[in-house]
Amino acid sequence: MIRDFLFFTTEALISIRRSGIMMFISIATITVSLIVFGIFLLLSANISNLTTYFAAKLEIRAYLKDSTRPDEILDLKTRFEAIPSVRKVEFIDKNTAWEEFKKNYPKIELNTLISDNPLPNAFRIILSDSAKLTTVANHLKGFESVEDVGDMGAIADRITAFSEYTRIAGIILVSLLTFATLLIIVNTIRLTVIARQDEITIMQLVGATTSFIRWPFIIEGLIIGVIGSVFSIVFLIFGYSFFVMRFQEKIPFFPLVYSHFTLNIIYLGIFIVGTTLGVLGAYLSVSRTIKSNY
Amino acid sequence: MIRVKNVRKIYPNGFVALDGIDVHISRNEFVYLVGQSGAGKSTLLSMMYKAEIPTSGDIYIDNIALSNIDANQVPYLRRSIGVIFQDYKLLPRRTVYENVAFALRVMHFSRSRIRRQVTQVLELVGLQQKMHHYPSELSGGEQQRICIARAIVNNPPILLADEPTGSLDPDTSWEIMQLLSKINARQTTVIVATHNKSIVDDIRKRVIAVENGRVIRDEQLGLYNT
Repeated sequence: MIRDFLFFTTEALISIRRSGIMMFISIATITVSLIVFGIFLLLSANISNLTTYFAAKLEIRAYLKDSTRPDEILDLKTRFEAIPSVRKVEFIDKNTAWEEFKKNYPKIELNTLISDNPLPNAFRIILSDSAKLTTVANHLKGFESVEDVGDMGAIADRITAFSEYTRIAGIILVSLLTFATLLIIVNTIRLTVIARQDEITIMQLVGATTSFIRWPFIIEGLIIGVIGSVFSIVFLIFGYSFFVMRFQEKIPFFPLVYSHFTLNIIYLGIFIVGTTLGVLGAYLSVSRTIKSNY
Repeated sequence: MIRVKNVRKIYPNGFVALDGIDVHISRNEFVYLVGQSGAGKSTLLSMMYKAEIPTSGDIYIDNIALSNIDANQVPYLRRSIGVIFQDYKLLPRRTVYENVAFALRVMHFSRSRIRRQVTQVLELVGLQQKMHHYPSELSGGEQQRICIARAIVNNPPILLADEPTGSLDPDTSWEIMQLLSKINARQTTVIVATHNKSIVDDIRKRVIAVENGRVIRDEQLGLYNT
């Protein structure tokens, strides 16, 4: 068994070395397909990251009338907290808000434009369920002391719908891409199989079993798959960190995916898909050729 | 050992290659299959190692009907039948040694056993000096010897030769036939399809003449023509 395995591996390596250009084409094709596949995975990871990021930021601000007294404010806090799907209620004092605003935007010389604090007292209300945003916002509007409610209900609905659509589109696109990559691999390996048709015929004439003939090709497919995956992963690692670097120069603090965990999962996925496709492609193409000879 | 029973072969285009062949070949016999090109000699040989399948009738080897052997078992059938081709069918990118060793590799023999048997058989065919050459570096006669070595390296009971001298000059053809006789003497049934008249007439053996897909003559120690 081990003897056979060594023999098959040697055969596969000899074949790879001998059919240089063909191998180069196969590996290049797989690398390019997997890069496209990987770009898509990174893109959908970022879209999903973005939607969760925005979903987590969903909050409502209830701006209070200037006439509201401190004891009324305390009372309101308790009543807001009692509303279903409200997770956290935080009071923002108008003076604190003003100081923070000036600190966050130091370039705008507000002091020269406005002398008084234009901001009202407000509550920041964070929800446990972003889908209830509109309902809670409407409820808040009913309070007499609430002058205005700032909500992102419309945006929230769109983000939720968007993330759902990207998820479905993602599944469809990944399946199509996997299928396309498989077709490409099957056909490229088929070319190497056809190029060695005479050899296969001779093997069959001297009594080689189908699996004996098939193994070297499958190992060849595995090697092509592994090399193609590694090339594409290296390309994606460098490409993505370059992209992140350039993007952050233009738009700082944009929520891109940096987590090593997520990225490693994506790269591992590409590796598994690449090697599986290499093996499967080799199996399918060599089986079709062998069958026609018995 | 080999029994051909009422075998017919009609190709999809309507051409009748074999039209009811009945032949019986005993163990350790040496048989010439003679006839014009296209008479059906090659088709008959191909059927014996299941590279072709009869349209009707059957072939029995050691009383086993080839029609009962399915695709998975064909490799095992072929291991008991050595085949020699007019165009040698050698693997061009492997050395003489590797070409012969290949037939044993498919049978999962150990490396040392492969080395022993390949060396022995190359000695028998007189090519031990050239075992590390590639087929393209050798003459036609030498390539045919590799093909023979590969066919007999695992001592199959049957050796089929399809026009083994078809591409060789008379002297070389003579040497190849001597070699086949030698193999026959080692308890191997040998069937040679040929249209080489001088060889059939010089090395007298049983002659089965085929014409238009039928056996027209079958005689011991026969001649190419009557």
